[in-house]
Amino acid sequence: MSTSSESTTQETESLAEVAAAQKEAQASGAADREVNRAFATFAEQNEEYYSRTFLKIQQSKLPFLHFNKAALVGSFVWAALRGNWLLFWIGFATDMMAAANLGLVYRFSVAKAAAIEADKSFLIERFSNWTMLHLLAAVLLFVIGRLLIGWLADRFYYRQYSAWRINPKVNSGVSKSRWMVAALIVVLVAPLTLYRSTQEAPEARACIKVARAMQDGKPVDFKSRFDCLTISEVPTVVWLKRPPQFSFPRAEDGTRTMVVKESTAKRPVNLNVWLSEVIDQRIDYAKAFYGYIFDGITKWLRTLLNAIEAVFVGTPWLVTAGLFLLIAFHFAGPRVAIFTAATLIYLGIFGFWQTAMSTVSIVIASTIICVVVGLPLGVWVGKSRRGSAIVTPILDVMQTIPSFVYLLPAVAFFSIGKPPGILATVIFSMPPMVRLTALGIKQVPESTKEAALAFGASPRQLLTRVELPLATPSIMAGVNQVVMMSLSMAVIAAIIGAGGLGFIVVDALGQSQVGRGMLAGIAIALIAMVIDRIVQRANRSGS
Amino acid sequence: MQSGKDNTMTVDATAPPDVSPVIQVRDVWKIFGDRSAEALEAIRKENLSKAEVLDRFEAVVGVREVSFDVHESEIFCIMGLSGSGKSTLVRHINRLIEPTHGEIKVGGVDVGGLNAKELRLLRADRIGMVFQNMALLPHRTVRDNIGFALELRNVDAFTRMQLSDKVIETVSLQGYGDRMPAELSGGMQQRVGLARALAADPEILLMDEPFSALDPLIRRGLQDEFLELSAVMGKTTLFITHDLDEAIRMGSRIAIMKDGVIVQIGTPEDIVTSPADDYVADFVQGISRLKLVFAHTVMQDPEQYSQQGHSLEGTETWPEASPEADLDSLISMAVNREQPVAIREDGKLVGVVTKDALLRGIQGE
Repeated sequence: MSTSSESTTQETESLAEVAAAQKEAQASGAADREVNRAFATFAEQNEEYYSRTFLKIQQSKLPFLHFNKAALVGSFVWAALRGNWLLFWIGFATDMMAAANLGLVYRFSVAKAAAIEADKSFLIERFSNWTMLHLLAAVLLFVIGRLLIGWLADRFYYRQYSAWRINPKVNSGVSKSRWMVAALIVVLVAPLTLYRSTQEAPEARACIKVARAMQDGKPVDFKSRFDCLTISEVPTVVWLKRPPQFSFPRAEDGTRTMVVKESTAKRPVNLNVWLSEVIDQRIDYAKAFYGYIFDGITKWLRTLLNAIEAVFVGTPWLVTAGLFLLIAFHFAGPRVAIFTAATLIYLGIFGFWQTAMSTVSIVIASTIICVVVGLPLGVWVGKSRRGSAIVTPILDVMQTIPSFVYLLPAVAFFSIGKPPGILATVIFSMPPMVRLTALGIKQVPESTKEAALAFGASPRQLLTRVELPLATPSIMAGVNQVVMMSLSMAVIAAIIGAGGLGFIVVDALGQSQVGRGMLAGIAIALIAMVIDRIVQRANRSGS
Repeated sequence: MQSGKDNTMTVDATAPPDVSPVIQVRDVWKIFGDRSAEALEAIRKENLSKAEVLDRFEAVVGVREVSFDVHESEIFCIMGLSGSGKSTLVRHINRLIEPTHGEIKVGGVDVGGLNAKELRLLRADRIGMVFQNMALLPHRTVRDNIGFALELRNVDAFTRMQLSDKVIETVSLQGYGDRMPAELSGGMQQRVGLARALAADPEILLMDEPFSALDPLIRRGLQDEFLELSAVMGKTTLFITHDLDEAIRMGSRIAIMKDGVIVQIGTPEDIVTSPADDYVADFVQGISRLKLVFAHTVMQDPEQYSQQGHSLEGTETWPEASPEADLDSLISMAVNREQPVAIREDGKLVGVVTKDALLRGIQGE
């Protein structure tokens, strides 16, 4: 021992190094075996191939063009056996699409044969073209789908392996029962889908005829019954008697009365027709007996809009333009002012001035209403749990409804014109005001509020001196969004007669005058950009 | 700093016992949770632990059976680790938190009995509060932040400005009145926090870990300054801290809190020399005793001293000190001298402090 310690330290060191390296190699070998065993346990069958592949993936040595041949051939069958359902659906979907294209090939060749018989040359050409295209699509889909599955297979399978390491309940190995499930899915999906691709689907109306014929007890052949049940519109299950008709004539003293008349129609109607009529009647009822409410709202909206239009439309264009430039320069600086000037010149030389001002008036009117209503609502949502519980779901729904749909209630109760246009605009652009106000209020730090309370602030002082000032940036962001959304909705509201630039676009669309529509569209875009710049810059310099 | 400390100490020591305390806290409990009343009853009956209460009632015990008095011009420190309930406790004084049970009197008035308006008046007029995270209003200037309490009382802008400027001077923030809080460093922001609490000239200051978020040097500076201010203004102060050093530096008296319970109340010397339990003893271990332990604690009776075979001859030539002299000054006297220090009261020899006794005193045995 002592002699060895006397030998050169270098030697012992190198010896130690070698020993360490050996030990490490052994250890890593052991680890390798350990990992390989895990690979094998996971793969169950063909474990050698999968161990090799997984190791390559772990070492980042998998070549880009690596395909799993079993998956290439077996596609969704392979995926089902291995329990990778994502790959199963990808593979099954691509194969089904290829098959459906083959079905279309069949369908169009039948149609082509019929066309040849009828001697319609243009139909023959069209159908032979379509036949070729779908044949090509079928082949491409099949080949690309298979290649995709083959390429994805081992990569996805390795992910499945990683998931399995974490949670042993994840599918592993090969299982017959999974294959049975896959077969069931194929049997349920494939035949009908393929049948649909080879057939012309009967129209909904044709199927209603079939249904009536069956109701009347007339004989209907099996194919049309089957087709109507499976490959046309979903068959109508609920048949209802037409609802009674309501009317609201004025009596001699001017008051409305209600007259109910049983429907004389013999045929029952489906749920859609029935409910539409019922809704129409309810709205008519409300308008007949509570019309004064809607008239009152219309009057107020009209008054507000008139006051604003008096400023923007009623003032000479030179004055208004100067005012805009001044505002832009004061709040947003020279660059935005130049952009504003360019926009104003555009509006002027293309003759959009009055129309644009009318749009701006609607935007301003709706913004005012949104702020007046949305701010207190936002404060309530921000401060009260119940307010948030009531309003938040409503806002969620409001924001998922497409803007067009807002026109419906406005038209229903307020007919057409500018006031319902403003109303639709207000409803559409209110949510961000409420949400951002509430957010701003909620973001005020609890400690700051506590400090204010500790110095004797009343709830009202807390709101006005602490919460609202601290929420201002958020509130201003809400105003900005309200303005932008109002503008977009004010354009759409032209459909119900709100006028303005949107009307030019709608009108141009109706008459296929693309050029006119485009010019008006550019005017709208320019106005939007100018407003956005001014409001944003004003916010930034303000805060 | 030393003068400030001495001043508050003497005020406390000489406060006549019959003067009613400014803040009285009696048997206060705070239990958080929906079933707090139920939980309180069960705790009182069965003496449950914190964990048991949480388990059975889903309620958290914040403050448990706390009683103490704070006298006029005193700095009363509440020291405890995070979660010990000290911040919860201090919020009971101005009723930012309602107690589950118990009574709090400020200036003899039951805080729990005040209506909303009276409570706001109490908070605005009589109690100033300083927060650990400053909690300044970021959209207001330093001056407007300081004048905030006055503004809430509808004091007019001119008076507000005058008063604020005066307080700005008090906390040495001259020239910063028109700055925004974000422009100031943490230490300066906390001065603003202090100034805001002082602006309405309240009788009581509640300080919730005011210096904890600051770095040590600035913290020390602010501590000294506050002590000086406190000596001049004599505001009754409830000072919350998690730092025993700070509590000892600042406090006339210290209450040590653990798990919502006050474990011990006493002067810094009491706490250091006779900790109530192992928990306090653990805390006190690392504390320097130089300025906390006084001659009367370490001195030996002269007779005992002579019985040990020492001579009491020539005590006139020995260095002399009063019984209130701290270890620090005793050491200064004892170095480079053969003789022990003679402790005299009214000229009469009352004790002897040998070097051995000094060393033992520092060690705390």
